[in-house]
Amino acid sequence: MRIKRREFLGHVAAGSAVVTMPAFLSGCGVQTATAVSEATPENPFMSWFGVDQATTARVMSELTANGADAADLYFQHSRTNSLTLEDGIVSSANSSIEQGVGLRVVVGEQTGYAFTEDLTLPSMLAAARTSSAIASGGRVTPPQSFNPAGAGDMYVTTVPWADVGINQKLPILKFVDEKTRAMDPSIQKVAVYWADADERVMIATLGGKLVTDHRPMTRLTVVVTAKKNGEVQTGYSNIAAREDFDWYTEERLLTMVQEAVDRTMIQFEARRPPAGEMPVILASGPSGILLHEAIGHGMEADFNRKGVSIYSDMIGKQVAEPFITIVDQADIPNERGALNYDDEGNQAGRTVLVKDGILQSYLHDEISAKQYGLQPTGSGRRESYKYAPMPRMSCTFMEDGPHTREEIIEAVDHGIICETYTNGQVQIGAGDYTFYVKNGWLVEGGKVTAPIKDVNIIGNGPESLKRITMVANDARLDTGGWTCGKNGQSVPVSQGIPTVLVSKMTVGGENVS
Amino acid sequence: MSAELQNKAIQAIEMLENAGADDAWATAIQSRDVEFEYRDGALEKVKDTTSQALSVEIYVDGRYSSHATTDLNPERLQSFFAEAVAITRALEPDEYREITPAYLFAERPTTHLDLVDQAVFGIDREQRLQWCEILDASARDNERVISATGGVYDGSQISAAASSNGFRGTQESTYCWYGSSVTLRDQGDRRAEDGFYAGGAHVSALPAASSVGRTALERALSRLGAAQGPTLKTTMLVDARAAGQLIGRLLRPANARNVQQEQSFWSGLIGEQAFSDKLTIIDDPLIPRGLASRHYDAEGISARRLPIVENGVVMNLYVDTYNGRKAGMQPTTGSPSNRVIGTGDYSLDALLAEVGDGVYVTSWLGGNADSTTGDFSLGVRGHMIENGKLGRSVGEMNVTGNLRDLFSRLVLVGNDVYPYSSTLSPSLVFADVDFSGV
Repeated sequence: MRIKRREFLGHVAAGSAVVTMPAFLSGCGVQTATAVSEATPENPFMSWFGVDQATTARVMSELTANGADAADLYFQHSRTNSLTLEDGIVSSANSSIEQGVGLRVVVGEQTGYAFTEDLTLPSMLAAARTSSAIASGGRVTPPQSFNPAGAGDMYVTTVPWADVGINQKLPILKFVDEKTRAMDPSIQKVAVYWADADERVMIATLGGKLVTDHRPMTRLTVVVTAKKNGEVQTGYSNIAAREDFDWYTEERLLTMVQEAVDRTMIQFEARRPPAGEMPVILASGPSGILLHEAIGHGMEADFNRKGVSIYSDMIGKQVAEPFITIVDQADIPNERGALNYDDEGNQAGRTVLVKDGILQSYLHDEISAKQYGLQPTGSGRRESYKYAPMPRMSCTFMEDGPHTREEIIEAVDHGIICETYTNGQVQIGAGDYTFYVKNGWLVEGGKVTAPIKDVNIIGNGPESLKRITMVANDARLDTGGWTCGKNGQSVPVSQGIPTVLVSKMTVGGENVS
Repeated sequence: MSAELQNKAIQAIEMLENAGADDAWATAIQSRDVEFEYRDGALEKVKDTTSQALSVEIYVDGRYSSHATTDLNPERLQSFFAEAVAITRALEPDEYREITPAYLFAERPTTHLDLVDQAVFGIDREQRLQWCEILDASARDNERVISATGGVYDGSQISAAASSNGFRGTQESTYCWYGSSVTLRDQGDRRAEDGFYAGGAHVSALPAASSVGRTALERALSRLGAAQGPTLKTTMLVDARAAGQLIGRLLRPANARNVQQEQSFWSGLIGEQAFSDKLTIIDDPLIPRGLASRHYDAEGISARRLPIVENGVVMNLYVDTYNGRKAGMQPTTGSPSNRVIGTGDYSLDALLAEVGDGVYVTSWLGGNADSTTGDFSLGVRGHMIENGKLGRSVGEMNVTGNLRDLFSRLVLVGNDVYPYSSTLSPSLVFADVDFSGV
């Protein structure tokens, strides 16, 4: 059995979330704020958190009493709902609320941080005093009021998740369960996991800015276990986006089901490839994990201002073939990694990491931007009010190149093509990175032949970039629910890539002697 | 403090019952965490936080749900609970959902676990800064150092639980850790990096700050000049720290949930000689000052020593009450505590000598394992072993195989247990392992 990947792509591209990237991105520049609302105590976000201009100014004043180069209050309310379907019934639900305010003071490269979940004035003032202890003796004039920035439009939803009843969600889980079971008699178990989240953030800065953002998120996962001749295999698929309920069309659900079943069934035939170095084709979409690990993290400017990244001295240098352009972009509507503003209140937008093969720009938060004398790139993100922000990726992808997928496959004599992944990791300093390939194929004599599974691939970031010798014209973002972890903080991200050929990578496999 | 939290949990149970829950479980948690980080001669970050949360599990008309919130405002809590009960009612009944039966609370151990050190509460700013300075100076004591970040992390946590069928319990612990990460200039644009962190429940668990900083530096220095290793089948010696992480992967599907969902290569192995007779894994929640010690688990099940594998024979799995009922297994505990790995007689040097030629793995990089089949593939870093001695530094290699098969080829076990993990493992040696590199 073959996974009909091309058909699958065409099928999904008819929907709205997955599109070929260049056409999509050309119509989508950096969004500028248009509507500026009045600074009134009736600001809905201030009301939500039970504070007003005067309280916020009072806390900011306490926070910066010992001086500050920068300071912010990060109010957050996050409500997450999840549902689990196992063994044919939706048998458990979970909901959680995280609410608090993080208080940060920055002096040079020094950060003081505290948070409180108790949003009363005495608690916020106490946390502000704790945080301010990092500074000593400087003087600043804190703002008397905060000027609201315009609402972003990267993920405007018609109905917030809070207003979607559980009765609306249950049929989706049941539908996915039934359709999956019907796909193949060897399917033993189906599990479906639903999650939706409504997050409200309000950031008040020392500069007097008040940024608010309402961030929806949803993710649906189906896990399939099948048994054939005593052998058991498990596979899964998931989809995620900053979307609302209407996003879950029957077509989208069926595509996910088909993908999960295909990925599971193919494993009965899949084997390990031979171990060692070989040419590796990375199929479009999820293979963007290469960019995330091989270059993305190394371009986060906190690593570079400290000099600990392998990319620390490479800006302006040719790091890849001239047909390679790599971008991190937050303003892509409804993507899982999309943002209107980052978690420092800066406009989130498009940062070109590599243009025509030349290393262009790091991903900056305010601390690194100040040190480099640049504008922040809107890349300061945090998991929640419990953490100080740092430079992070949003949606990371490579633009189309001059080749076709068919040309790339024809160019490989002995190698593999990788289709789906579970996880990756990188060592920032040495540049060594890995990603785990769940499904793929052997490529022999320019043709895709037998299925492979469960191999780790390891390479060195800058070396792998140089070894990308062909780039196809089929770029797309993956719709899977990727989460990036760094220094103990998790944030949602997206990634994408066209089909590319890396002339040499090290593939985990079996030694044939 | 713990009495106050206990009351919060009991009040939550009452509120949930008033809202319509038949049974309920509540856990209230409060924690204090302080972080001082120092980089290259200067204080870089101070984080000082107190956090609170309440989590509940509710049972309504044979249905189940769980909820958590950090917003403890009584009025909003009331509406949160009302909504929680409404959500639960909308689910389907599940005959296997039932609150932990009270017999599992019985015979709660009284072992003094010694998890609270008053000295941790006495650590002040000056002490943290002094440790940071020592860590920083010792970690940067080499001309190749580009940057070193050191940190002190200390705090405490109290949790209190209560249930509608009579469970009451509180657990309190302190912690205090410090360590450094070091980046060194290597060939070309490459940087060598590594780190070392140590600590425990008591201040006395901390080795001298200077030795921790120095160990971090030495670990980074050993990464200098790392080149890609070869593709070959050979003996693998896994150092004690990395061995604990490998055991963690082995145990990930060793539970009733994975078995019930048919996603575990541990299915049907109880009583079987599934692994090498050199492998023994005991889950022991009652180790004084242990990093994962406890008197009861998240479901309130009284803690007891639980053999998972003895001399290669599978004895027990991690079984929670719900999945135990579904899978027809007696509950043990659904969540691991301290995992104690059986030790051998060999020092690290003796293991190297026994191995002769092979690969010494000191850390993993990425990779994964399939819980259903046990197939794994992991990135590794370490050294070649040549003539019984540590050879050149290698990286950019993968090790690939099947976890059950790998642990059936465990041939030697060291006596050098790594103490800074809840998985207390010595170094382990495996025969005939597939490496891929150049």
